[in-house]
Amino acid sequence: MLAYRQGDAGAFETLYARHKGPLYRFVLRAVRERGLAEELFQEIWMRVIEARSRYEARARFTTWLYTIAHHRLTDHWRKRRLRLVEIEDVDPPAPRGDEPEARTAGRQDLQRLASALAALPELQREAFLLHAEAGMSVAQIAEATGANEEAAKSRLRYALGKLRSALDHD
Amino acid sequence: MTEPERDPRILQAYGDLGHEAPPAALDAAILAAARRRGARWHVPVAAAAALVLAVGVALVVQREELRSNEEVALAPQVIATPEPAARREKLADARKLERTVPAAAPPAPVAASPAPLAEAAGRADQAPASAAARIAPQPAEDRAASVAGAVHKSDAVGKVQSPADWLKRIAELREAGRHQEADERLAGFRRRYPDYEIPEAMRARVLPR
Repeated sequence: MLAYRQGDAGAFETLYARHKGPLYRFVLRAVRERGLAEELFQEIWMRVIEARSRYEARARFTTWLYTIAHHRLTDHWRKRRLRLVEIEDVDPPAPRGDEPEARTAGRQDLQRLASALAALPELQREAFLLHAEAGMSVAQIAEATGANEEAAKSRLRYALGKLRSALDHD
Repeated sequence: MTEPERDPRILQAYGDLGHEAPPAALDAAILAAARRRGARWHVPVAAAAALVLAVGVALVVQREELRSNEEVALAPQVIATPEPAARREKLADARKLERTVPAAAPPAPVAASPAPLAEAAGRADQAPASAAARIAPQPAEDRAASVAGAVHKSDAVGKVQSPADWLKRIAELREAGRHQEADERLAGFRRRYPDYEIPEAMRARVLPR
């Protein structure tokens, strides 16, 4: 990011290639609507570009990026007063495996996981997505979301517990 | 701070939900915006650098011209200051010089003490026409030859650029595509040598294109 700030456009392309997938899925699964996710995803990167002159190397770029994403999602939820409802368009792919029964069972697992993820409270879902997509620790989640570490840890723990329960449910 | 226990099964199942990626058109739009903003960042810097360079070159050129003009302007003062007897001799010398030096080879540039640029510019503007401006026209070749000779004499006492060198420098600037500098130098040349007829061969190389 420092290289991009100094005018190296190639440095931005490297950053973008590294982070676009996780960030896109983070946004997509946070808002669960593809068109909206693309819009927010683009806005987040635009904010990154516009804020390049203010970037300082004190924080990891990943944390800085997801802090921007968190603020944008918070704005979005505040404006839309989005309610957590069922997944609109997530149609999980069939898991790997040749046996039809196993495939069916695996598919059901994924459906349950997807439903449980969508049913999580926003902050818990966000904590889980930061953990799963960005590989963040509790401390990093706390920094990116502006929460204290106890709160971040609690959100992540609750999220993992609910998702585990969904997978264990037969 | 202890981390919640990692659950590979959850992360594996989550990974199986899919690895969606942004559409290629969105990638292209974002990368293009990043390049544009990056360009915006760089263009002013490059423009500022070019401007600084241009101003620097212009100041050097202007200083050179002012120095030359100052030398011309000082010439009558040098002639006017001596005592009457010496003055008559000097005037006679000066008239002799006028006959042989049409293009204002300035006699005493070394005697002039350095003056601020603005003051020098003012003097140059108010300076009487040089001796060269008052003489009868001569064929161009003769004038060029006599000017070159006079300048050669001037070189012995001070740094004065000969018309040929001056024109050569203008031609070099034109060839390098630095037409603005060439125009400025040509204007300075015209002020310095108002009656100098540029040889035909040099004309195409130094005149504005």
